Amino acid sequence: MSDTDKKEQTSTHKIGIYLWIWGLLFVLSFFSYMVDWYQFQGMLRWSLILFFMFLKAGLIMAFFMHLFWERYALVNVLLWPMTAIACFIFLMVAEFKYTLFTRLFYFFVGG
Amino acid sequence: MSEPKIEGIELKPGFKGMAEDTGSDQTMFKGVHWGKAMMWIFLLSDTFIFSCFLIAYMKGRGSTPVEWPNPSEVFALDAFGVPVPLLLIAIMTFVLITSSGTMALAVKYGYEKNRKMCGWLVLATAIGGLTFVGMQAFEWSKLIHEGVRPWENPFGAPQFGSFFFMITGFHGTHVSIGVIFLFIYAYKVFAGHYDQQKRGWFTSMKGDYVEIEILGLYWHFVDLVWVFIFAFFYLW
Amino acid sequence: MSEDYNDNKTIHAQSSETMGGGSAGVTPDMDYVRPAEIADQDLYHGHSFITKWIFCQDAKVIGVQYFLLATFTGVVGLILSWLMRLQLGFPGAAGFVTAEHYYQFVTMHGMIMVVYFLTALFLGGFGNYLIPLMVGARDMVFPYLNMVSFWSFFVAVAVLMASFFVPGGPTGAGWTLYPPQTILEGTPGSGAGILLMCLSLILFVAGFTMGGLNYLITVLQARTRGMTLMRMPLTVWGIFTATVLAMLAFPALLVGALMMSLDKVLGTSFFMPTILKAGEVLEYGGGSPILFQHLFWFFGHPEVYIVALPAFGIISDLISVHARKNIFGYRMMVWAIVGIGALSFFVWAHHMYVSGMNPWFGFFFATTTLIIAVPTAMKVYNWILTLWRGNIRMNTVMLWCLGFIVTFVNGGITGIFLGNVSVDVPLSDTYFVVAHFHMVMGIAPLMVIMGAIYHWFPLVAGRFLSEKLGKWHFWLTFLGAYSIYFPMHYLGFIGVPRRYYEMYDSPYVTSAVGMNEFISLAAFLVGAAQFILIYNIIKTLKTGKPAGKNPWKANSLEWLTPTVPPEHGNWGDRLPVVHRWPYDFSVPGAKDDYITQTTPPSEVSNTGVEKT
Repeated sequence: MSDTDKKEQTSTHKIGIYLWIWGLLFVLSFFSYMVDWYQFQGMLRWSLILFFMFLKAGLIMAFFMHLFWERYALVNVLLWPMTAIACFIFLMVAEFKYTLFTRLFYFFVGG
Repeated sequence: MSEPKIEGIELKPGFKGMAEDTGSDQTMFKGVHWGKAMMWIFLLSDTFIFSCFLIAYMKGRGSTPVEWPNPSEVFALDAFGVPVPLLLIAIMTFVLITSSGTMALAVKYGYEKNRKMCGWLVLATAIGGLTFVGMQAFEWSKLIHEGVRPWENPFGAPQFGSFFFMITGFHGTHVSIGVIFLFIYAYKVFAGHYDQQKRGWFTSMKGDYVEIEILGLYWHFVDLVWVFIFAFFYLW
Repeated sequence: MSEDYNDNKTIHAQSSETMGGGSAGVTPDMDYVRPAEIADQDLYHGHSFITKWIFCQDAKVIGVQYFLLATFTGVVGLILSWLMRLQLGFPGAAGFVTAEHYYQFVTMHGMIMVVYFLTALFLGGFGNYLIPLMVGARDMVFPYLNMVSFWSFFVAVAVLMASFFVPGGPTGAGWTLYPPQTILEGTPGSGAGILLMCLSLILFVAGFTMGGLNYLITVLQARTRGMTLMRMPLTVWGIFTATVLAMLAFPALLVGALMMSLDKVLGTSFFMPTILKAGEVLEYGGGSPILFQHLFWFFGHPEVYIVALPAFGIISDLISVHARKNIFGYRMMVWAIVGIGALSFFVWAHHMYVSGMNPWFGFFFATTTLIIAVPTAMKVYNWILTLWRGNIRMNTVMLWCLGFIVTFVNGGITGIFLGNVSVDVPLSDTYFVVAHFHMVMGIAPLMVIMGAIYHWFPLVAGRFLSEKLGKWHFWLTFLGAYSIYFPMHYLGFIGVPRRYYEMYDSPYVTSAVGMNEFISLAAFLVGAAQFILIYNIIKTLKTGKPAGKNPWKANSLEWLTPTVPPEHGNWGDRLPVVHRWPYDFSVPGAKDDYITQTTPPSEVSNTGVEKT
């Protein structure tokens, strides 16, 4: 990068925002630990796990990795490919259910 | 890390800005250093690696008719004679998030050209990472001691050990590589390589504090992956 | 011509008579291009023989290195295919081709050709050479990483070749490496062979990631002044999009190869179900073989487009230059490339219709597969419309281009057969499939590679390849390749299964045997014809006709370097400034029939050039 850019980059964000996010991450980790501690089960457990997970991941990416401050060109390039992963996950959920079904059917019912 | 300014062009925010950045000449990511863009794309690729691992884990765990071990019992640790579920994992998470915070501050002080603060914070991050790797080694040896192997385990489905060792091992490898680089970069910061723009040993490219941000991106990514592993391995 | 264009899209298209002279439409800010926003690149110039030619950081040298090594592995793959055809056409003629060896040859031929030959050649070879030149950069953005990328590829090839010499030989599980049979005893090369294969693939992926990051960041962040994404040659678009696919698809292969190695070495059961062998239960159990297939094809289908997209891009440029006409529907071509690239991640399980996956998937994947045919067909129409009423030069390059279009359409249409579940089920695992994918991803990209060699050789070496030898090379290859693969469709229809070592006394042997002999003879001929090219290159390097600057009268930047062949740093003192797209051929009113990308608008103000 040219010298002009380097001078631009010397102004940075206030330290407060990092400390806030840092604190928030500890709190959220504590909450997700509590999900296990209180032994929530079923859909409640799943939704809490995923909620805290995505919240923490989002905070790390947005603030620690500065994605919140990046231009949309970079943000979109990074996030759109995740649709392929989402599709892969979605289909593999259908696939493992089918595999489990065939296994139970042929090993226990059919056999 | 303020908004970049480019001569001869007005940078608009939001999607309009995205359209104009994409349509412009020279660069698509305005004001983004080459190395930083590279690290982002690499991390995208690495995300696909970890996603594939976790998808494989989901497929393996979901389709086995055998009982899957209960992680909150397997990973429990005795504290003062009482088994506390996931105690070690909680501490590891704590350590990794701490090191992520110090890294974020190191990046900030790096851009402010505060050599001392930046150096100490990178070193603190390295030590945090080293602690994490150490605890992971302890966790592995405890599980191995209890009879968990990649090919079998006494608690249930053999795939439990396989996926556990493979995925945490792959993550641990990432952490270890990060720790090595953190120590090297801590040295480089303290020695003032970035202030003097000293040329790198391998690539012979000029040093710049942006390298701290690039390393920071990698380190936050390692933390990010741990968030997912924590959710899917230890809480599921 | 001015009436043909929308006024606000046209830069002063009045003829010189009415406006009195060429400079009539010139306005002061017409040639304005934004100032540089990236500093000039800091390059390491090698001084010794080793830093200049072996551990070299110049993308052009690395490109040639990739090219030579990929060609070497390609020749190995070619020889393996000869041995296979020898066995199929004349069973038992070569005594040493046993069933085990046959399967090993099939496997290695497939893996070498797809990954180590085509991928490395298109992305490593053409990508390295052409990207920096075509976008107007001095070099790849990370030259050191680029060098490491090539040497990782070198080690990967060395490991792959080493597997021919280990006990048990290379793996013989088919190039898809499906477990469980890949790592079970009884499959040839189930010991060291498969491990070396996995290791080699992991090394290849690691090396390719380093190269791929280079290509992407060079295209995104290091273009020269005036070079917008929509002014890039389609070659760069094709290679760029293919690299994006590679960066996102190779991880699945890496994960699959790693898990397979663990199954083999540590005895984990990721992919291994409970298996009875000779009445005994093996230690494996509970794994999911279909998981490997999903991982493999999540990589494998984008891989098809990793090979095809650079071919699409290169062929567009070759056709445009040699038909002296702008590419028809440039933006449509770009969006088709990007669209194919994006869709390629949603079609993978059409390779698995008969694998026993969730039966509902067939519906989803048949739909997406047929959707992906739409942008592909658009591209074919655009190539033909580019040729339509062009000022076609019938030289060797154009012959290869035409050969590509024909073979690609042929392979594409059979792809529509195979994309439909109900048609695929009887045809899968027959020679129809072999014919389909060799046509569409073997012969068609090969035609592009050959065309690209004849096109860019004058740039790389400064001399023309011999046209006479080139025409022999083309006609032997084109007619020969058709003689090989066209009858194979018929073999597939009558039900001859692929991957069979010999047909023995099966009912179709009578009608298939003569055809197999014919195919084999054609295969020997086509393989031998490729050595014409090698002879041509060696001969041309010494005695070829000197090409000079821009011999094809092309527009894109790679022909506009101050020296031919270009030197390290490509552009001498000043980087080029780009004012237009690379397809301004036969512009009405222009002095020549081409306007280079660096020509400012003020110099061609009296022509009917469109603003791009």
